[in-house]
Amino acid sequence: MALVQNFPFITIVFSLTCGVLCAVLPGRGAKRLCLGWLALTTAMSGAVLRFTLTTDGSFLYRMGKWGAPFGNELRVGVLEALMATAFSGVMLLSLLGGMRHIFADCEPGKVNLYFTMCALLMSSLFALIYTNDLFTAYVFVEINTIASCALVMLRSSDRTLVATTRYLIMSLLGSGLFLLGIVTLYGITGELLLESIAEKVQALFAAGQYSLPLTVIIGFFSVGLAVKSALFPFHSWLPDAHGSATPSSSAILSGLVLKGYIIVLIKIFYRVFGLEIIVSEQVSRFLLLFGVLAMLVGSVNALRERDLKRLLAYSSVAQVGYIYVGIGLHSELGMVAACVQILAHALTKPMLFICAGGFMDVSGGHKDLAAITGAGLRDPLGGAAFSVGALSMMGIPFFAGFVTKLELARGALEAGPVTLGITFAALAVSTLLNALYYIPIVFNLYTRPRDGAWAGVRQRYHWEYAAALAAFIALNLGFGMGSDWVVGAIRRGLALFGM
Amino acid sequence: MGFLLLLPILFPLAAALALCLRPLRAQRRRRAFTVAALALELGLTALCAALAGGTLPLLPLAEGLCVTFGIDGLGRIFSLLVAFMWLLSGVFTQEYMADREHLGRYHVFLFLTEGALMCLCLAANYLTLYLGFELMTLCSLPLALHTQTGPARRGGYKYLFYSVFGACLGLLGFYTVHTYGRGTAFAPGGVLDPAKVAGHEGFVAAAAFLAVVGFGAKAGLFPLHAWLPAAHPEAPAGASALLSGVITKGGVLCVIRVVYYQFGAAFLRGTWVQYAWLALALVTVLLGSMLAYQEKLFKKRLAYSTVSQAAYILFGLALLQPTAFAGAILHVVVHSAIKDGLFFTAGAVIEKTGQTDVRALRGVGRAMPFTMGCYTVLSLGLIGIPPLGGFASKWLLAEGSLASGIPVFGWLGPAVLLVSALLTAGYLFPITVSAFLPGADLDGTSAPPLEPGPWITLPLAVLTALTVLTGLFPGPLADAAAAIAAALC
Repeated sequence: MALVQNFPFITIVFSLTCGVLCAVLPGRGAKRLCLGWLALTTAMSGAVLRFTLTTDGSFLYRMGKWGAPFGNELRVGVLEALMATAFSGVMLLSLLGGMRHIFADCEPGKVNLYFTMCALLMSSLFALIYTNDLFTAYVFVEINTIASCALVMLRSSDRTLVATTRYLIMSLLGSGLFLLGIVTLYGITGELLLESIAEKVQALFAAGQYSLPLTVIIGFFSVGLAVKSALFPFHSWLPDAHGSATPSSSAILSGLVLKGYIIVLIKIFYRVFGLEIIVSEQVSRFLLLFGVLAMLVGSVNALRERDLKRLLAYSSVAQVGYIYVGIGLHSELGMVAACVQILAHALTKPMLFICAGGFMDVSGGHKDLAAITGAGLRDPLGGAAFSVGALSMMGIPFFAGFVTKLELARGALEAGPVTLGITFAALAVSTLLNALYYIPIVFNLYTRPRDGAWAGVRQRYHWEYAAALAAFIALNLGFGMGSDWVVGAIRRGLALFGM
Repeated sequence: MGFLLLLPILFPLAAALALCLRPLRAQRRRRAFTVAALALELGLTALCAALAGGTLPLLPLAEGLCVTFGIDGLGRIFSLLVAFMWLLSGVFTQEYMADREHLGRYHVFLFLTEGALMCLCLAANYLTLYLGFELMTLCSLPLALHTQTGPARRGGYKYLFYSVFGACLGLLGFYTVHTYGRGTAFAPGGVLDPAKVAGHEGFVAAAAFLAVVGFGAKAGLFPLHAWLPAAHPEAPAGASALLSGVITKGGVLCVIRVVYYQFGAAFLRGTWVQYAWLALALVTVLLGSMLAYQEKLFKKRLAYSTVSQAAYILFGLALLQPTAFAGAILHVVVHSAIKDGLFFTAGAVIEKTGQTDVRALRGVGRAMPFTMGCYTVLSLGLIGIPPLGGFASKWLLAEGSLASGIPVFGWLGPAVLLVSALLTAGYLFPITVSAFLPGADLDGTSAPPLEPGPWITLPLAVLTALTVLTGLFPGPLADAAAAIAAALC
C-alpha cells in the first residue's frame, strides 16, 4: 500500500485532532494551526488526486484493516479526491479572505473556537466525501450540522441566534429523516456498507420484494438531504443563516456545506440504488422539478432583496437548484453537470461572500445595496472579484459558470422533449434573472456615491484578503478555460462509481 | 496573416486600458487621443480586411469549443462599417459632450464596445459569436446608462433584460448546432449533419427560430422590441447613434451567421420557421413605423424608426433569397449611415435649442440651416426617394421578395414596405417642413444662428455624402453582397 493511500484517513482523523488542539490554543495560535493544516490537507488531497489519476482506479481503505461488518471503510476514487482537494482549498481561501471579520465578529477569547469548528467541519466534509459506510455518513452529517450551526452563531448578535435556531431545527429534521432512511434500510438488508447494501437491494428489486419500503426509503433520503442542502421548498432557513453570519462562515456554508450533503445523496443514489431503480421510482422527476423551481424562486427572491449577503444567499438557493436539475436529468451527462456545478459554485459563491465582507469594510459595516454604492472604487480588488463572480453566475464564456451551463445543456439534449424544454426554459430564465440582479450591483459598485452622501473609506488591504481574492479569481478563470481537464476527471470519477 | 485579426479587437481594449490608467482630463488631449485612436482603429480594420485571411484559433475552452477568429466578405463589410461609424461618433462626441460629466468613463466604454463588436464581426464560430454578443451587451450598457437619470436607468436595465434573454435563446441554438452539426465553425450553407438531424427536424427548426428571435431582439424584432425605444433615446446622442445605427446591426449579423452559416438556408426554406420569421418581421416593420408616427419626442421617434427599419433588413434575410440578401446587406450600410446622421442632428438640435418635442422645432431650420439641411437629405434617403441610399436597398428587397415565389409573403412584403415608406415620410418630413417653413406667425422674424461647430457638422456632412453616394453608386456594395449571397442561398 502506497503512503498516499493513507492520506484520506489522515485528513479525516487529524482534522478532528486539529480541532481539539485549536480549542486549547489562544486565538492566533489556533488560526495558524488551522490554516497550516488546511494547506497541508489541500496538498495531501492533491497528492491523492494525482495518485488516483495515474493509477486510474479507486481503492478501498479499511480502518484498522478490519473487514465488514465491524470495519469502517473509506473509498477513494478520482471524483472523491477532486472534491476533497477543491473543498479544502476553498475552505482555506474562505478563512483567509474573511480573517479580519472573524477576529472582529467573534467575542474575544472565543476566536479559537471558530477554528475548532472549522477543523471539525473540514473533517466531516472529508468523511462525507470518502466514506463507504452509511452509518459513518450519518455520524459525520451530525458533526457537520453542529459545526456549521456554531459557525453561524459565533458572530454574537440576536439575529444570528434566531437564524441559528431555525437552521438547527431544519437541519435536525433533515438528519432525522436521513437516520430513518438508514434504519429502515438496515432493517431490511442488515448491511451498512454501500456495496453490500447495493447487492441486497438489487436482489430485492429483482425479486419484487419490499418495493413500498424501498420507495419510502428513497423518499427519506431525498427529502432529508434536500432539507439540509436547502433545496426549494426547504430553503427558508438559508437566507437568514447565511445572510447574518460572518463572511467566512457564509462562504463556507454556501460553498461547501450544502454540497457535502449533495455528495452523500449522489453516492446513495448511484452506489446503493443504481440508476435504473432511481429512474423507475420517478425520484429524478421530482428532483428535476424542484431543482427548476429552486432556480426560479431563488432568483426571484434575490431580485427583490436589498441586502447584499441575503441576496447572495438566495442566489445559492438558485444555484443548488442547478445541481438538482443535473441530478434529475438521470443520465451520466446530467451527473457530470451536477458535479461541475458543485465545483463551479464552490469556487464562485465564497468569492462573492468574501467580496461582500470587503465591501462592508469600506462602507461603514453596512451591507444593503444602497450603502455599498461605489465600493468597487474604494476596494478595486474586491470589485474586480465581484465582477468576475457576477459574470460567472451569468454564465459568460471564460468563467466557471459557463461550463455548468454547457454541461447541463448537453445533458438536457440527451433527455426527452419535455425535460429538454423545461431545462432549457429554466436555464434561460435563470440566466436572465441572474443578470438582472448581478449586473446592476456591479454597476452600483462602480458608481460614485451622490454628493452629500458619506463616501466611505478606502480598503486597507491585508495580504490574506488580497491573496484569497486573487486566488479565487485565478481559479474561476482557470476552471472556465481549462474545463476539459476537470470535466474529464469528473467523467472518470463517475465511471469508477460503476455507472 | 492570422495575427492581424487580433489587431482590431485588441487595439480598442488597449486604448480603453490606457484611458483607465491615465485619464486625460484636459479636453484637447482627450480629443486628440480619442480621434487618433479611432482613426488608427479604422486603419487597422482596413489593414485586417485587406490582408488577413484564414482563421485564428485562440483559446480552447472545452473539447471542440475554441474561441476562433476569422474574416470573410461579410466580416469585412461589418467590421469596416463599425470602425467607420465609431470614428464619426467619436468625432461628434468631442463637441457634443464637451462639458458633460464622467467623460472618462464614457470613452472607456466607447472603446470597449468597439472591441466587443469587432469580436462579433470577426467571430469564426458560434461560441465566439455568442461571446461577442454578450460582451457587446455588457460593454454598451454603461453607454445607455450614462446620464444615470431614472428613465435612463429603467431603459438600460430593460436593454439588459431583453438582450440577455435574447442571448439565452441564441445559446439554445448554439447547443443545438453543437449537438446536431459537424462542429460550430461558420460555413456557407450551414453545418447541420443530416444523419444526426434525422428524426429531430422539429426540434432543430424550433431552436433555429428561437435563435433568430433571440438575436433579433438586439435589432428590435417583435416581440422583443420594447427595450429599444426605452433605451436608445436616453443615451447621449453619440451613443444613441451607435446603439441604433451600429449595435442593432450586431444583432443582424448574428442572425445572418446563425441562419446562413450554421443552420443553413436550405434547411429553413419553406418551413414554418421562415413563415413565422417573415410574419414577425413584417409586423415589426408596420408596428415601428406606426409607433414612430404617433411619437412626439424627437429621439424616441427615431428609435421607433430603427425598430421599423431594422425589421426591413430582417425581412430581407428571412426571404432566404440572393437578391433580397443583397438588399438587406445594402440596407445595413445605408440605414447605419442614415440613422447615425439622424441621431447626430437630433442631438445637435436638442443640445442647441433645449427642445425634445418635435412640435417645438418650428423654425429651427433658419437657426441651423446646415444641420436641418442634412436632416432633410438623410430623411429623404430613409424614405427611399431615388437617387438616395434607401432607394436601392429597398428596391432590391422588394425585387427579391417578388422573385422569391413565397406564397402571400412574396407580394405582401413589398406592399407593407410601401405603406411603411409612406409612414416614414409621415413622421420624418413634417419636421423638415416646420423647421424651414414655420408658418406665417414666425415669418420674417430672425432667428439667432445656432449652427454647431465643425466637430458636429463634419461627421454629419460625411454621413449625408455617404447616403448620396450609396444611392448613386450602389453597384460595388450590392455586387459584393450578391457575391456573398451566391454562396449562401
